[in-house]
Amino acid sequence: MTALIALIQLSAARGIRTSPLTSLTADFTSLFELVVGTATSELRSQVREAASVPHLWGENALLRAENRRLSAENSRTQAMLAAYSAEQALQPVIDESARAIPSRVIGFPPENELEVATIDRGARSHVSRDDGVLNGDGVVGRIIQITPFTSRVLLITDYTSTIPAVVQRGHWWCIVKGNLNSLHLEYVSQDAHLRIGDRVVTGEARSFHSGALIGRIVRIERTDAGLYQTAVVRPAVEFGSLDRVVIVPK
Amino acid sequence: MIGLLSSQSKLIQGAPFAGPPWQRAAALLALALLAQITVLHYFTFRNAECSPVLVVVVWYAIASDFRRATIFGVCAGFLEDALSGGTGGAWTASTAVTAFFTAMLSRSFFSDSIPLLAAILVVATLLRNAIFWWMMEIQGYPTGVGYVHFHQTLWQAGYNALFMIASVLFSRYYVKGARE
Repeated sequence: MTALIALIQLSAARGIRTSPLTSLTADFTSLFELVVGTATSELRSQVREAASVPHLWGENALLRAENRRLSAENSRTQAMLAAYSAEQALQPVIDESARAIPSRVIGFPPENELEVATIDRGARSHVSRDDGVLNGDGVVGRIIQITPFTSRVLLITDYTSTIPAVVQRGHWWCIVKGNLNSLHLEYVSQDAHLRIGDRVVTGEARSFHSGALIGRIVRIERTDAGLYQTAVVRPAVEFGSLDRVVIVPK
Repeated sequence: MIGLLSSQSKLIQGAPFAGPPWQRAAALLALALLAQITVLHYFTFRNAECSPVLVVVVWYAIASDFRRATIFGVCAGFLEDALSGGTGGAWTASTAVTAFFTAMLSRSFFSDSIPLLAAILVVATLLRNAIFWWMMEIQGYPTGVGYVHFHQTLWQAGYNALFMIASVLFSRYYVKGARE
């Protein structure tokens, strides 16, 4: 048997060709080589991954901490940006008057019975009664009560608030009265051709110079039998998010 | 002030006072007031705001005698007037009268049930607001504005009752349960 195998191998070697026994053996073992090689390769990668897990835990913890730090920094930056934007919104109002006093809203009446806001400027900041209060969007109200360090502002949406106003488009005079969530335009001449969207601004009066935006007309109420026509005005100021205001002494 | 007068009333009435200590009531009042002028303004619904101050006043009035209750009501109302701006003495008078009548009313029954407390608070809210707007008219406020706020008052009565119920439940099941 051995002699036969040797004879076959020598014969193939002398003829410079692959022996059939060699070819058969190589093909047969290649199957096992493939399976073992695949398994070995897979095992090596698994072992490599398992070995790197402690390192990944540490890296993950570092990344989480960095993420938290960056999120907090982002929140602070957003808050600073919002505060800066709010301050910048007041700048045109401050520039218009040399005696403008920037201020912040710090409180509200306990029972919400009146539309009043408390601000952090008082008599020591040269605030006077009936001074007008504005913000970047428009008219906020007027000062009704002063202490040394704080003041109370009667908002224009209060029922007792009345402001002389002008419908800007046709320069029609009127009175704006507060109506809790909106404003009521009264004593408008029947000859006035009001339109939805007309701007309503302050007239020259005790608390305000003329031209400060009060709001825009959203509904017109006109009857032929009445002496005057009325309208509903949406305030330009968002009173729900009132924060920074400017006191404009007259 | 309540502490000084309480010692006098103890001698006059003859029976020891068994209600809540005035220091605790004052601390609760301060917290309630701070919450109302800052945070609760942003939680209004239909322009009505919950009034923890009135809840504290009613709680103290129910638990104590009418003299202490009235003094506590005067203090609470005065603080609200000072922080409101433009209300004069309306809150002082209305809160004092409400506290007085609540204390007088609670003498005739054992006010421990939650529905009863809620009902007392609803009535107290309506009474206090009615007196407040009447006082405002006396002080020169435009007539009829109180009627405009009636809807708001009804909502506030509901909120106050809910707040009282939540506070009583919290006190019974969490505070007293933790102590046991």
